[in-house]
Amino acid sequence: MITVKDLHKSFGSNEVLKGINAEIKEKEVVCVIGPSGSGKSTFLRCLNLLEEVTSGDVIIQGDNLTDPKININKIRSRVGMVFQHFNLFPHKTVLENITIGPIKVKGMKKAEAEKVARPLLEKVGLSDKADAYPESLSGGQKQRVAIARSLAMEPSIMLFDEPTSALDPELVGDVLEVMKDLAKEGMTMVVVTHEMGFAREVGDRVLFMDEGVIMEEDLPEKLFGDPQNPRTQEFLSKVL
Amino acid sequence: MEFITESHYYRVMPFLLEGLVWTLLITFVGLIIGFVLGAIFGFARLSKNKLIYGIATVYVEAVRGTPILAQILFIYFGLSDLMGVNIDKITASIIAIAINAGAYIAEIVRGAVYSIDKGQEEAGRSIGLTRNQTMRYIIWPQAFRRMIPPLGNQFVISLKDTSLFSVIAVGELLYMGQQYYGMTFQAFQALTMVCVMYLIITVPTAIYLRRVERRLDV
Repeated sequence: MITVKDLHKSFGSNEVLKGINAEIKEKEVVCVIGPSGSGKSTFLRCLNLLEEVTSGDVIIQGDNLTDPKININKIRSRVGMVFQHFNLFPHKTVLENITIGPIKVKGMKKAEAEKVARPLLEKVGLSDKADAYPESLSGGQKQRVAIARSLAMEPSIMLFDEPTSALDPELVGDVLEVMKDLAKEGMTMVVVTHEMGFAREVGDRVLFMDEGVIMEEDLPEKLFGDPQNPRTQEFLSKVL
Repeated sequence: MEFITESHYYRVMPFLLEGLVWTLLITFVGLIIGFVLGAIFGFARLSKNKLIYGIATVYVEAVRGTPILAQILFIYFGLSDLMGVNIDKITASIIAIAINAGAYIAEIVRGAVYSIDKGQEEAGRSIGLTRNQTMRYIIWPQAFRRMIPPLGNQFVISLKDTSLFSVIAVGELLYMGQQYYGMTFQAFQALTMVCVMYLIITVPTAIYLRRVERRLDV
């Protein structure tokens, strides 16, 4: 579903990604872990071209994102993204946050878009917040709205960029719960996370990134239970 | 009653009200055009295209780096001289306010758009909105709210700047006051009332803006 070939990304003279190869299959949940500065967020952001790719290929459902003729807006509407800091639109209500994509990108009528949005709000447990503005929500609620906003586009892939890192510890659970449900429903997910428990429990596969490369990848039980690479061992000994 | 109607504070008023109409007209029309200029050049200042950015920067810096009095004289006398036509005084005044305020508004627009968190654009783009849609539906509405206080401030500045047009004999508020004391030699009374008229507009505006600012703060 996603194929990444020899992906390089530099910011000026600073090479952040130094040749990433990865394959993500349909309905797979892949968790990306690693120390900060390892390039894991940059890698994720290259998957919907929020970062321009310096060289290499990112192929999503047959479309090569590095092809200059590609309509990136179309692809982005199929690839949902959830951010660390939620990035909800503060001047719009919760419902409007969710419907703006379907209305403006898919050309749905307002009523039609709301029919899509309301079940999603229910799914993330926030039906009563439809008319609230984001500033009145807690961090965990904001993130669940952000997930609903992405889902409203009916994406075939969801990217999560440290979705719980900005949350108070007691709010993390609700967000992870929603993500778990998504995984169960068969959503293809790439999750950059520091939640090792989530990676172990929900992930089908875990990628360990450091210094701009994937150092090790394996099934969660293997990577966490018996890491082979010394860098992985060192990292896990610090975080677990 | 006679005491009041006989006083110069009172008798200057018909002059000043006529002047005020012109002052407000020049300010409003000038600022509407200035806002359009400001929006265009403000976005140009955000452009990655070096040429567009360069042109906008020259405009903004040229206007901000020269006195408005020189600008109005330049437009009224300089351009007339260059093109060999007479520009109407009011038109020249409106152009002067528009060009002058346009440069400052360009900086207001640039600053406001720039101040919106980068994550807003990323979120918009990530659900598939185009660049333009993201600007229109996500960035601009938020930026515009932040522009209201500085725009109000610019309104007060431009309103006061119109007094400079008295040098080309535009019949605005200050000029009309001058006309009055030119005939009556009652400069104190006339100028007191001129200032009162400015304050009647500027003080409520300032109070209103402070309220808006406080509301935007939360």
